[in-house]
Amino acid sequence: MSENKTLLQVRDLSKTFLSRKGWPVPKTVAVRAVDGVSFEVGQGEALGVVGESGCGKSTVARLALRLIEADGGSVRFGDTEVLGASKADLRRLRRRMQIVFQDPASALDPRQRVGEALGEALRVHGLANRRDVRTVVERLLDEVGLPKVAADRFPHEFSGGQRQRIGIARALALGPDLVFADEPVSALDVSVQAQILVLLERLKAERNLAFVFISHDLGVVRHFCRKVVVLYLGRVVEQGPVPDIFDTPLHPYTQLLKVSSPNPDPDTAVHMAFQEGEPPSPVNPPKGCHFHPRCPHAMDVCRSVYPSLRKAGDGRVVACHLYPE
Amino acid sequence: MSAAPITAASEALQVEGLTTSIRIAGHWFDAVRDVSFTVRQRETLALVGESGCGKSLTALSIMGLLPGAVGRVSKGRIVVDGVDMTAATEAKREAMRGDRIGMIFQEPMTSLNPVLPIGFQIAEGLMQHRGMSKDAARKRAVQLMELVRIPSAADRLDAYPHQFSGGMRQRVMIAMALACSPRVLIADEPTTALDVTIQAQVLALLADLQKQEGLAVLLITHNLGVVASVADRVMVMYGGDVVESAPMRAFFQAPTHPYSEALLAAMPRVDRASKLAPIPGQVPTLPDMPAGCRYQSRCPLRIAKCAERPPLTPLGGDPEHGVRCWVRAGA
Repeated sequence: MSENKTLLQVRDLSKTFLSRKGWPVPKTVAVRAVDGVSFEVGQGEALGVVGESGCGKSTVARLALRLIEADGGSVRFGDTEVLGASKADLRRLRRRMQIVFQDPASALDPRQRVGEALGEALRVHGLANRRDVRTVVERLLDEVGLPKVAADRFPHEFSGGQRQRIGIARALALGPDLVFADEPVSALDVSVQAQILVLLERLKAERNLAFVFISHDLGVVRHFCRKVVVLYLGRVVEQGPVPDIFDTPLHPYTQLLKVSSPNPDPDTAVHMAFQEGEPPSPVNPPKGCHFHPRCPHAMDVCRSVYPSLRKAGDGRVVACHLYPE
Repeated sequence: MSAAPITAASEALQVEGLTTSIRIAGHWFDAVRDVSFTVRQRETLALVGESGCGKSLTALSIMGLLPGAVGRVSKGRIVVDGVDMTAATEAKREAMRGDRIGMIFQEPMTSLNPVLPIGFQIAEGLMQHRGMSKDAARKRAVQLMELVRIPSAADRLDAYPHQFSGGMRQRVMIAMALACSPRVLIADEPTTALDVTIQAQVLALLADLQKQEGLAVLLITHNLGVVASVADRVMVMYGGDVVESAPMRAFFQAPTHPYSEALLAAMPRVDRASKLAPIPGQVPTLPDMPAGCRYQSRCPLRIAKCAERPPLTPLGGDPEHGVRCWVRAGA
């Protein structure tokens, strides 16, 4: 298996949510949660997706897994088109694409023993018969650093970090090639977060796992991922290899994210030059470049024309009028 | 708003030998042990540590908000603006809270009343503590909302919490906490639930207000990056003990307690590629805490002497920099 073979290819993925709001006469409003997002993930490769709350990062994962249906675009996994796949095909695909959630406490059934939670998937997909299930479950638990007896316990008996290990074990149960990790370490303390990151790194190397790693924490993404996609209000604003994007961010939004990220060093601490403004509502994004109301470099063209993605060096693209097309 | 009057003591908050116990299954355990510190006017002291280290319990002890049945201050003295909170009656403490000492919490949505307009919630403290009329308090509420830079403040006085974003709600909380110009502000993970860009705004706002109002700020956080941005001094807590206490720059130049070092080594950094070194194991529960140094069960430097509790020892040359470790204090 070569590292560079493309495993997941997302093209122009779009999703508009409709919501009815208002009283006494509700009005239907459209929210463009994901708007023409494209990226690729190679085998055994980790791609980071970063952005603020509401930028569409989690929606991208749910669309690609068809937990919700996309409005347009394509998602190719290996040789199969995911968005048009039949139920039977989808079932096969789900064995190879799994997801780990931020809060494992709400992703696990509180009344189901851990062993049953892990074994259920194996039985449903016919990967182990009743007798073997226990052995496979124990092997999985061991792989994520939990004792065998964990299989007989309930989720509430575990700490947050241990529960996330269970969530990871469940994602691994079917032997996937790709894991969507949606803020997998955001709810954890620093020392536990480091334990889980080290575990994920080991699994990535041992199983040649690919990751779509969704996080708002730039430090975590820098540590874990090789490539990164920066989303703002449902659109890709910058994309490229990890050290380049973090060392010399081109898009003013990526620059803002970087200087706002706390760093345990008084000399490069959070840049607190007062930057007013919040992400506008995706219900009614500003005309032109969505970022222009917060952008220190905004020009006239930014207020009317949305900047297309343009090449900006090796494997990098940026959607900003500051750079030539 | 005019600067707070400078009174004789610049120590706005003094905590001496605070021990807080909590009850688990009928037994009392010390969850905060012998914690002492002072916060001066215009100073930010950061209390750092992971879940269960006792940082929030310390804050609740200061505020006198411990749930009586399961938590109590068993030893020590807490002095806020010259008033001994531990000796005060509940009525006196009630008068201090929201007036001389304010507090903001991590999740503003759970601290704000969802069915009351935010203007009323800001004005409430002014009517309660300052005996202001409804109209005067409303006018002052608008000023306070402008102070925390909520856009079109006057129009949003009658808006409800759900109509605000997370960052704006935290500003409302700050406005409420500052309504009576307190001398001490306790901020318990004030930016943890916010996006990084909004976190930077709220931290900048707090720093500005602190200068204007001469506030003493006790900042409780688990994020060493936030500490490096805003703190003047740092106290690291583990298992209810202060394990290291230092001026902020001295701390980042020479983190000395093995737990402080481990915390820094476990944090992925945005400015450079980092090799993560997780801390093995987890924090023991209170009933399982080892006698002596509470970090010994996870410490790579452990020696026989760690079975005895080390004192907070000043490091050579710097009386401000203390560490609670037999090995590192060179004893």
